[in-house]
Amino acid sequence: MEPTDDPKLSKLLREWQVSGAPASLDARVLGARKGWWRFLLTGSIRIPVPVGVAIAAILLMMATALVRQRAAPPPASTLSLVSFRPAQDLNVRVMGGNYEAR
Amino acid sequence: MTDAEFREAYARHKDVLFRFAWRMSGSAAAAEDLVQDCFLLLWRNPAAYHPERGTLGGFLIGVTRNLALKRLSRERPHDELEEESAICDALDPAGRERGEMVAQAVAALPPLQREALILAEYEEWPLEEIARASGAELAAVKSRLHRARENLRRMLAPLL
Repeated sequence: MEPTDDPKLSKLLREWQVSGAPASLDARVLGARKGWWRFLLTGSIRIPVPVGVAIAAILLMMATALVRQRAAPPPASTLSLVSFRPAQDLNVRVMGGNYEAR
Repeated sequence: MTDAEFREAYARHKDVLFRFAWRMSGSAAAAEDLVQDCFLLLWRNPAAYHPERGTLGGFLIGVTRNLALKRLSRERPHDELEEESAICDALDPAGRERGEMVAQAVAALPPLQREALILAEYEEWPLEEIARASGAELAAVKSRLHRARENLRRMLAPLL
């Protein structure tokens, strides 16, 4: 230390004491060096409220759309006439009434 | 820098840096931020420290003082770092403890005078080391320290 010409002043200055580093600083410094994989497991992020609300709204809309899609009846299957073969010998016979007697 | 080396450096220098940052900024919360930023800089870029230019403690104090001065200039953009003509008035001791008055007097010093005073008076660093950490000429540090003590004598006259 450089010699001071005023020991009274030096003594007075010593009356302002501050403590050493608190334990919370250890966690902040040593914990802040985590790798990205540790961050994925234990990390946290802060996002602005509007962004959080927007994300929640989008997720809600997607979930609603998914539920509605599952609850809706399946669309009617289309009928294909590709393999349809009309009857070759069609013998029309009317049943009932008095027509048969004639 | 390995994890073990970093932890050792942190354990060895954290208290000095924290006390210095607290006295420079006047706040324990700000000191925590400053010291955290200082060590994160060391962790991310250990090559910034060159052992041939001085001790690791001196390097870290230099980083912390740069961060503290940057913070001060952000908070009080119109204040000069070094006001050669700055003359501080005597403080009124009414109803206040001596330690509290000393803290107020040190906080009232221009930042470069405050930094020289903290390192010389509280951390008992030699002037050459202070000059190296603050990137200043030895004569400039002597001058700042002299003016800081004059200002303190004036401010703390009621207690001396």
